[in-house]
Amino acid sequence: MSQLTQIPVRVAGIGILATCIVTAEIDAQSPTTFIVESPTMTTGEMMPRDYSPDGRNMSPPLRWRGLPEGTRQIAVICQDHGAGNPPPWVHWIIYNISGTADGLPTGLPFDSSEPMPRGLEGAVHGNNGWGLPMYRGPAPPGNSLHHYDFAVFALDEELNLPPGLDREELLEAIDGHVIGRGDMVPIYRRQRADSVSTVN
Amino acid sequence: MPTQLKTTDVVIVGMGAAGGVAALPLAEAGLEVVGLEAGTWLDRRDFAPDEIRNNYRDWPMLVNKCEDERPTSRATSAQTANRVGSHPMMNAVGGTSIHYWAQSWRLNPWDFKVVSETTGRYGRGRIPAGSTVEDWPFGYDELEPYYDLVERAVGVSGQAGNIRGQLDARGNKFEGPRDREFPMPPLRWTAFNERMADSARSLGWHPFPGPAAVNSENYDGRRGCVYHGFCNKGGCPVDAKNATHLTTIPKALDTGNLRVVTRAHVTKIEVDGEGRATGVNYVVGNNEYFQPARVVLIGCYTYENVRLLLLSKSRVYPDGFSNNHGQVGRHYLSHHQGAGVSALFPYDLDAWYGLPAQGVAVDDWADDNFDHSDLNFIGGGNLWAMSDRRPISAAGMSTYGRGRNWGSGWKRFIAENADRSHGFYIQKSTLPYEDNYLDLDPTDTDRLGMPVIRITGQFKENELRIAKFIQDRAEEWYLEAGAIEVSRGGLGNSMGASTHAYGGTRMGDNRETNVVDSWGFSHEAPNLGVLGASVMGTSGARNPTLTSQALSWRTAQHLVDAWRDIAE
Amino acid sequence: MAEKPREEKGISRRDMLKTAGAAGAAALIPVPLDASTTVGALEKTSTELLAAAPAGPLMNLTAHETEILSAMVDRLIPSDEMGPGALDAGALRYIDRALSEAESDAAEAYRNGLTALDRYSEYSRGKPFTELGDKEQDSVLIDLQTGSATGAGVGFVGSSGAFFNMVKSHTWQGVFGDPQYGGNVNFTGWDLINYPGVRMRVSREEQRRLEEDQLEPVRRSAYDFEQFQAGEED
Repeated sequence: MSQLTQIPVRVAGIGILATCIVTAEIDAQSPTTFIVESPTMTTGEMMPRDYSPDGRNMSPPLRWRGLPEGTRQIAVICQDHGAGNPPPWVHWIIYNISGTADGLPTGLPFDSSEPMPRGLEGAVHGNNGWGLPMYRGPAPPGNSLHHYDFAVFALDEELNLPPGLDREELLEAIDGHVIGRGDMVPIYRRQRADSVSTVN
Repeated sequence: MPTQLKTTDVVIVGMGAAGGVAALPLAEAGLEVVGLEAGTWLDRRDFAPDEIRNNYRDWPMLVNKCEDERPTSRATSAQTANRVGSHPMMNAVGGTSIHYWAQSWRLNPWDFKVVSETTGRYGRGRIPAGSTVEDWPFGYDELEPYYDLVERAVGVSGQAGNIRGQLDARGNKFEGPRDREFPMPPLRWTAFNERMADSARSLGWHPFPGPAAVNSENYDGRRGCVYHGFCNKGGCPVDAKNATHLTTIPKALDTGNLRVVTRAHVTKIEVDGEGRATGVNYVVGNNEYFQPARVVLIGCYTYENVRLLLLSKSRVYPDGFSNNHGQVGRHYLSHHQGAGVSALFPYDLDAWYGLPAQGVAVDDWADDNFDHSDLNFIGGGNLWAMSDRRPISAAGMSTYGRGRNWGSGWKRFIAENADRSHGFYIQKSTLPYEDNYLDLDPTDTDRLGMPVIRITGQFKENELRIAKFIQDRAEEWYLEAGAIEVSRGGLGNSMGASTHAYGGTRMGDNRETNVVDSWGFSHEAPNLGVLGASVMGTSGARNPTLTSQALSWRTAQHLVDAWRDIAE
Repeated sequence: MAEKPREEKGISRRDMLKTAGAAGAAALIPVPLDASTTVGALEKTSTELLAAAPAGPLMNLTAHETEILSAMVDRLIPSDEMGPGALDAGALRYIDRALSEAESDAAEAYRNGLTALDRYSEYSRGKPFTELGDKEQDSVLIDLQTGSATGAGVGFVGSSGAFFNMVKSHTWQGVFGDPQYGGNVNFTGWDLINYPGVRMRVSREEQRRLEEDQLEPVRRSAYDFEQFQAGEED
């Protein structure tokens, strides 16, 4: 049921057409596409250091709009289709997000004992590629540049899934409930401490 | 110039599981035996129930010769071999039988006749491509009396499943017929063992208690197991684990015909102009000795048996002792012990006071015990659910996807789950292949400058298919017993250095494809005998030790019976 | 949130001798006594009297390195409402003795790793490791464990995960191993996991009681058994 879809991406200001390959995990029943963006990230551009292990490794802020009518809950996966064996490598899975939320703030708690911010009560983390229920940002090898697909799924029901699901389990659980999807795809390359100066 | 010692009838190199057994029939028959052992004597005071020392600091293994001669390993001959992290064996009087898991199994009859049985039942084409497997030169029935002798002399506890054709449902219905019961009843079961046995029965399988070279009651002047929980890679503080230094070696010493020399590192087998062994060279500290002998038996474990032969070059044997047919090092195999399956249960298993030899076995999926007509492999695996747990490793358990394995949240997790995880021990039958072999490493050496063994090998398609099949069975069993999480390891194909290594000096009638004859004596040098799993051509789905000890006794007995032909 | 200053627990040598058990006086790390050594300190619960974070450096690491290691070990198994943590259990003392005895090869790896950890903390989180709050420290350690910190170019030799695993492994040995080696002080490690203790004989009856949650734990070192004691006790 998965198909490879090529989504052309325009990198603002430079006019280079970058191609981002995205696996469409969606139904044949043409769900709608909606906008996903961020106050601090842009598709095709380097995401800020603080969303990576070169910085504070906080979960980035996301905003979405134009959700289809009937959206009851939202799930988000951040995945790198250029990593993993097999790909994608998963950086973040979070779901049971209220359908009335319009996004996620910066730096969500990663300890399940800490409550989610107002408006996101009940949201839970699934297990990323490292088996951790939290956001862990890009750590591409060496000097390579990778793309990070923040995929947002609009669901027609309050599925209230258990925490700790991995990507396969989540996709199986939301199968048949996805009425809309949006993506944004910033990029990242490591910014090493020793490329700037010797750090004491 | 080595000091020349007085000639002895027999010199045995290695006083471990195999060498330690051979000494007894030889000494009892009145032959003069010198046993050379690279390690020293250890006793019960050396075996405190100490997980750090036994399981994290490799006591008493790393202090000896074996650490220095760790093999190198690579998957194929296209690669460079790397030194393995640690040598799985130890040097001492009693050898690895001092701290091994003491699971003490007979092979099934099928394991002796893999080629003819497979051909007869499924057709010759079902022997995997590239395998060099042969039928053993004799069957299970020939070895049965020696299994019996060793089980009594060493002390093996268990439950018979087949006594002269009479089946007993409490034991293994698939085993080869035994002449009589085990000398001791099996080790006890915990409530979790009972539960696993019930679950296996619900699946229509035939669970039974596994055989152990551990006293289940007073035996031979020593007490039964105390279940203190530190048996895994630990020596026994009450002498209930039946290592050869507690059983066959003392009895051999009592005859007055055995002398054990410790800290003796054998470096070479010497030869005369006709290719007969004349004795061995060894060093103790800085002193070199030559021990002349009428017969030489080597029992140094698979890697070192092969190594000693390959290092013993001469004009008569330019490629290594009795290696003029190029078979030394060939037909090597080791058990595929990876591809594990583990589980998390919603209840405590009360496993703190167990041992690896205590548990429930299922042989329904081993060897040819099930119909392979519609399957794409031959052989199978033994499923072993043991009861074994210690604090540090329990605290290091997987969190089964329930978050970080450290921190405050983890403390809550471990307080509840430390006694709730379990892992199957799955042994799968393995075959020899053309491109899996042992030779000398071209660059790595031991402290004396002698090349170490290089292992070239990987598991093949047949073994990986067995692994996948048996993982499915293991998962079935766990779910039946109420597990809430089941986790599988990758199938893995690298062989590495193993505690279950076989071949390299294979036994068989054909001298073009085997190093020793059906009695264990070299085809090329009739007074050189080999003891240990290196003579075995197949592994079966169980541990090698009891079989290597039975073969060892048989080789020694034959030497006594045919002394004139072999020694003179 | 600021650092967690470790008060110097003024414990007299006499009390440390009482709690050190089979480890013996030779295993103790010298504790400078200062004005806070009062009678009041002796009235603390035995948990609090544990030979906890040493006031001075370990023998094998500098004071600065000890501070960083101490903060890291404190996050691995914190002291909290579930009970004492790794520092209380004497994990640092265990590590120090291990570095002096069986694990001397690891001393270089500790020095390299602790320096890299501190550099990484400064570079990525803006502060030395000991000045970060708990959650930030956890975040840093997660990045070490996953290996993500390696590519930050802060001087880890090999993967940052290898350093993390070494410290975690030694900490676990220190908390859950036999107290003979300086850790598992007052058996707090064995208490956490409900390990019923070292026994030289477990009868069928005792196994049954264990299965019915009725077996009282025993709390002794393997080396309390005469069979394993070398020479005379001091």
